[in-house]
Amino acid sequence: MGGAVEAKEKPNENPILWVARPMATAAKQFAKSLVRPSTIVYPFERLEDPKFRGKVAVESGRPIGVGEVWDNYRGVHALNIATCISCNLCAFSCPDLCIDMVTVPGGDPKHPKKCPQIDYGKCSYCGFCSDACPEGCLTMTTRYELSVTKRADMVYSPERLHEVFRSKLPMNPIRLARPENEDAILLDPPLCIGCNACARDCPTQCITMLDVPKPDAKPGEKLPKRIWKEPVVNDSDCVRCGTCISVCPKECLFWGTRK
Amino acid sequence: MSEMWINMGPQHPMTHGLWNLRVKIEGELILDVDPEMGYLHRGIEKISEDRHYNEVITLMDRTCYVAGLAWEHLYILAAEDALHITPPERAEYLRTMCDEFQRVGSHIMWYAAFVQDLGLMSPFLYGMRDRDLVLDLFQSYTGARMTYEYMRVGGVRSDLPLGFTDRARRVLDWLTARFVEYDQLCLGSAIFRKRCDGLGVLKATDCVEHGVTGPMLRSAGMKRDLRRDRPYAVYDQLDFDVAVADGADVTARYLVRMEELRQSVRMLRQILDWLDRHPGPAMAEELPRWLGAPYAPVGKEGYLLKRNYPKGVGFSSVEEPHGEAQAYVVNEGTEHPYRVKFRSPVFANISAARQYLVGYHVADIPPIMGSVDVCVGEVDR
Amino acid sequence: MSNLTLFSVSDLLVTVLLTAIASIFPEPIRGWLTNPDLLLGLACLVFGALLLAASMLNTILLIWWERKLLGRFMDRRGAMHVGFAGLLQNFADGFKLFKKDTVQPREADALGFYAGPTIYMVTSLVLFGILPISSGWNSGALPLTLLLALAVFSFAPLFIFVSAWSSNNKYSLMGGMRSAAQMIAYEVPLLLAVVAVVIVAGSFDLTTIVYEQQNYWFWGPLFLALLVFVAGMLAEMERIPFDLPEAEAELVEGWNTEYGGMLFAFFMLADYLRALVGSILVVLLFLGGWTLPTWVPAAFTSFPLAGIFWFMVKTYLVFGLFVWIRASLPRVRTDQLLRVGWNRMIPLSLLSVFLAAVLVTAKCLPVFGCVPSPGG
Repeated sequence: MGGAVEAKEKPNENPILWVARPMATAAKQFAKSLVRPSTIVYPFERLEDPKFRGKVAVESGRPIGVGEVWDNYRGVHALNIATCISCNLCAFSCPDLCIDMVTVPGGDPKHPKKCPQIDYGKCSYCGFCSDACPEGCLTMTTRYELSVTKRADMVYSPERLHEVFRSKLPMNPIRLARPENEDAILLDPPLCIGCNACARDCPTQCITMLDVPKPDAKPGEKLPKRIWKEPVVNDSDCVRCGTCISVCPKECLFWGTRK
Repeated sequence: MSEMWINMGPQHPMTHGLWNLRVKIEGELILDVDPEMGYLHRGIEKISEDRHYNEVITLMDRTCYVAGLAWEHLYILAAEDALHITPPERAEYLRTMCDEFQRVGSHIMWYAAFVQDLGLMSPFLYGMRDRDLVLDLFQSYTGARMTYEYMRVGGVRSDLPLGFTDRARRVLDWLTARFVEYDQLCLGSAIFRKRCDGLGVLKATDCVEHGVTGPMLRSAGMKRDLRRDRPYAVYDQLDFDVAVADGADVTARYLVRMEELRQSVRMLRQILDWLDRHPGPAMAEELPRWLGAPYAPVGKEGYLLKRNYPKGVGFSSVEEPHGEAQAYVVNEGTEHPYRVKFRSPVFANISAARQYLVGYHVADIPPIMGSVDVCVGEVDR
Repeated sequence: MSNLTLFSVSDLLVTVLLTAIASIFPEPIRGWLTNPDLLLGLACLVFGALLLAASMLNTILLIWWERKLLGRFMDRRGAMHVGFAGLLQNFADGFKLFKKDTVQPREADALGFYAGPTIYMVTSLVLFGILPISSGWNSGALPLTLLLALAVFSFAPLFIFVSAWSSNNKYSLMGGMRSAAQMIAYEVPLLLAVVAVVIVAGSFDLTTIVYEQQNYWFWGPLFLALLVFVAGMLAEMERIPFDLPEAEAELVEGWNTEYGGMLFAFFMLADYLRALVGSILVVLLFLGGWTLPTWVPAAFTSFPLAGIFWFMVKTYLVFGLFVWIRASLPRVRTDQLLRVGWNRMIPLSLLSVFLAAVLVTAKCLPVFGCVPSPGG
C-alpha cells in the first residue's frame, strides 16, 4: 500500500511498426465487428429486451447482459391511485418542486382526495418521492421514452401516472427502510384547543380525539375557551407526513422523541 | 500573418464544455492565452443553501457530469463531518467502489475525448463503448446512468442487487483487455507520440504554484495522491500504488491516467471481494429524523428550531478523477446547510493554461487541453 | 467489348434518337438534324451528362462505402436505415443540404466565396473526363492524360485558399493557409513518384501505363513510389492523418467553416471526388488498372464489362485502405507534416525515381519478370 508505480512508456520500437500496430488493432476490431458490432439498434432493439438478458456477451461483445441491469432504472413514475393516501410527502420531498397535489375523483366531498401530478419538464428523476412514499403507491418504472410535441404533455396527471402503473412495467424495487428512531408527533397540551383539525386531515386516520377531563376552575382563574379533547397519535400507523402539524391552528403539535 | 486573438470557445470543438480560451497567435504560434470561465455557472453553491442536506446530492451529479459519484462522495463526506454522522463500514466500501468505478468511467471518457481531439475517431467510439459498461453497472445499483443520486448522508440509498459483484468482475476483466488496445492505438502509434511527446510541459514547481492537482501533478513526477496521503473512506485498507510519471507532458499524463485505470481495477477487485464477504447495513441507524427518507414539512416556525441539533463545520477533500476536490459545509443546526463551498480541481488546472500553452502551436491546443481533462460543469459550478 | 465506351454509347444513343426524330420531318430539316457535326456536339453533351451522373453516383457510393467501413472499424454499423443498408442515406443528406439556405458572411467577398467551391467542384469533375476506366475508354484521345490529370488535380489548393480567404474568418484563413502549404509541399513528392512510374512505363498516357503492367503490376517493383504516392495522395485529399486544413479540433472546420448548405455540399462532394480520383490513380499507376493477372481464369475476365467491374473493385479496395488509415491514425501537426514532406518524402521519391531508372536499365527482375521495352 502507498507505493508509487512509475508509469513507464513502452521502449522505443521500430518506427514502421509504430504505424502498423494501431492499424493492426483497428483491423482486429474491424474483423470482430464484421460479425456483429456492439451497437444496439435502438428503436428496433432495446436494452431491456429479453433477448439481451444474459447472453449479450456473444452477440455484441458486451461482457454483461444489458437486460440484467435494467430493473432498478429510475424512469417515469407509476402511481396507484387506489392506495394513495394523499399524504403530500412526495410533493414535500421533491427537490425540483415538480409535484403538485391535484384533486382526483373518488374522495369524499368535504376532504377531496389529492394525488401527485408530476411535471416531467422539471423532474430530475432523483427518486426522492418514491423513497418518501409511505404506502409504496408512487414508484418509478423503467419507462424512459418521454418525447412529446407539446409542453403541456410533459405534465402527467394522476390518471396518466395510474395508466403507467397499470402497464405493469418493472418497478424500481429500491425502498428505503424507515429509520429506527423516527420522531413522532408530540403535543404541547396547554396550547391545544381540541379543534379536531389534525384528526380531520390526517391521511391515515391515525389521530383520535380523546376526551380530557375539564379541570375545575380555581377561583379568579378563567378556563380557556376550548373543546376538552386532545389528539392521540397511533405511532405505528403514522407515516410522519406532518399534515397535522401544518394544519394545527395553535402550533401545538411538533416533532420529538416519544419517551 | 500578424498577431491576432482568436476565441476558441464558448462554442468550439476544442472546449469540451462551455468555456472560452482566448488565444493570441502569430501564424501557428501561441503567444498568449487567456482562459475565460463562467459560461456554465448555475449557482450550485447558493442553491445548496436552500435545500435539505440530502437534496444537495441531486446537484452534485450535475456539478461534474462525468464524475458525479465522486462529487457526491465529496459532498457527503463534508456533510457527515458537519452533522457528526458516521456511516456503516459497508456504506464506506460501497462509496469507495463508486469512486473507483467513477474514476474508471471518467478516465475512459477522458481517453475517448482526448484521442478524438487528435483526430482519432475509432478509439473515441471504443472508449464510449467501454464506458457504457461502467454505466450499465451504475444503472444496476443506482438506477441511473448519469445522475446517480446514490449516496445519502449516513450511508447509501440502496445495497447492491443480486449478482452484482460477478457482473462487475466480468466488466473489469473486459476492461483490462481493452486497456491494452488503448495503448496499442496510442502509444503504439508513431504519429501519436510525435503529437504528444514534450507537449504542454508543466513542471512540478509550476503545478504547486498554480494549485494544479491530480494526474497533471503526478505526471510531473510528484507523488501526491489524497487516497494515499490523506485516506478517506476505506482507502487505507486497500492495496494500491500511486501512478506517477516524470515527463510532465501530454504523454506523461496519458501514461498516468492509464496506470490509474489499472490501479483502479486492482482496487475494485479488492473492494468487490470485501463486499462479497461482509454483508451488512448500508445506512447508518442513528440518523436524525429529518435526514431520514421522507421529508416531512416544516412546521409553521420550522420544527428544527426546537431540535437543537448540534452545530458543526464539515470539510472534506477527495481525489476526484480530475484532481483534488474539496468541500466545506457549515451546519447551523437547521435542516439546510448554512453554507456550501466547493473547490474544483479543474478550475485550477485550466487557470494555469498560460503556463503550459504559450510557445506551442495552435494545433497543440486540443491535445494539451485534452490532456488536462476539462469538465466545465465543476469549473463553473 | 473493348470498343464499348461511354462516348460510343452516348454517340449511339444520340444517333438513334436523332434519326428517329428526323424521320418524321421533311427533307431539309431531316438533313439538318442528321448533320454529323450536330450529332457529334449532342453526343458530347450526352457524354458529359452521363459522365457527370456516373461520377456523382460513384462519389455518393464512395461516401456510403466509407461510412460503412468506418462504422465497422469503430464497432458500429454506419448508415443502415435509408434504403437497402443505408445506400440512400447520402441522397437524403444531400437533399437536406440542398434545401438549406446558403449563408454568406456579411464581410465575405462574394465573388471568391461563391467561385471557390464552384471551381473546386468543377476541376474535380473535369478529371473524370480524362481518366480511363477500361480498355478503349478514351485511348488515343490524348497522349498526355496523366500529366493533364495531375495538372487539373493540383488546381484545388488555389481555390481552397481563395474561398478560405474570402470567407473572412480567422479559422478559415488558417485552414486555407495550411491547405496551400500542405498541398504545395506534397505536390512535389507526388509528382516525383509518378515520374518513377512514367520511367518504367515509358509513357504519359494512362491507358499505355495500364497496358505496360501486363507482366506485373507496378506496386511490387515500385513499392517505394507507391508509398510516397499514397502518402502524397492522402495529403492531397486532406484525409486523416493529413486533414489538418480542416482539423475540427482546433480549426472548427478549417477552410469550410463558413460554408453551409449547397456550398458545403460542393466542398464535400468535391473532396470525395478527389478521393475517388486518388484511388483511381493508384489503381491505374500501380495496380494494373482494369486488367487482372494472366493466371486468373478467363471466366473472371471475359464477362461483359469485366474491365469496369474489376477496375471499380480495385478502386473501392484502395479507398478502403484510406479508410483503414483514417480509422487508426491520429492527425499530424502542420510543422511535422511539412517537415516530413520536404525532408523525408522528397528524398524518398527521388530514391524511387532512381530505383525505377535502375529497373529500366536492368530490364529484368528475378521475381517480377521483364520490363517491356519503353514506349512499348
